[in-house]
Amino acid sequence: MKRSYIGVITLAIILFLDIICMQLLVHQFFYENYGNVLLYMIIMIILFPVAFIIYKKEKHKGGGASGK
Amino acid sequence: MAEKKNTVRVEDDNYTHNIDRNNERALDRRGFMKTLVGAAGVFAVSSLPWGTIAAKELMGLADKEYPEHKIADIKDVKVGDSVEFHYPSEHDSAVLIRLGENEFVAYQNACTHLRCPVYWVKDQQEMVCPCHHGKFDVKTGAPTAGPPRRPLPEIIVKTKQGSVFAVRVKRYEA
Repeated sequence: MKRSYIGVITLAIILFLDIICMQLLVHQFFYENYGNVLLYMIIMIILFPVAFIIYKKEKHKGGGASGK
Repeated sequence: MAEKKNTVRVEDDNYTHNIDRNNERALDRRGFMKTLVGAAGVFAVSSLPWGTIAAKELMGLADKEYPEHKIADIKDVKVGDSVEFHYPSEHDSAVLIRLGENEFVAYQNACTHLRCPVYWVKDQQEMVCPCHHGKFDVKTGAPTAGPPRRPLPEIIVKTKQGSVFAVRVKRYEA
């Protein structure tokens, strides 16, 4: 059985970016740089559909005996 | 592999086809990717409240504006003396302290421990709460001794035409 791990790795990277952005967002919030908070919120909201698109593309990659 | 005699469906005929007890295959590659996407969604949603508060702050809705309130004439307050007043409402007692010739500070003087009134003690150059001997730094309002842990809310003051005016209450900062 062959597996494609590209999806897993890219999604893990996206989740890691999410964690980083969340951390920065909370810090910027406490430093009262509210413009930056909005920026990080937009990044995080964009990352979700990106993750979903990657999932849709990657879920049939690799495959077992069916040869997909 | 297909010519082997088994009851496993062709599309499931891989090296893990026999692992299907106790949801052991619930977290396969695809399920794991689903979890990651779901987590990204949770992160996106959880950033929304921060963003809305930030947007609110940027639009200036959170800064409450109170009308300016005249506290006292400058000539009536000697350096080192204090004046009690009420701001922003008549139930919020506050204290104005003249530290220098042109240096005024004002705080809402309800102690942040149990809301006893805090007094300016000129001899000790400190603000003291008599209930439990809490003390506050006069320059910053930060607690220096006793049970209080949070600073007194500072009132922004300005001087004009020989009088001291309370302008607004400074936002609480942890």
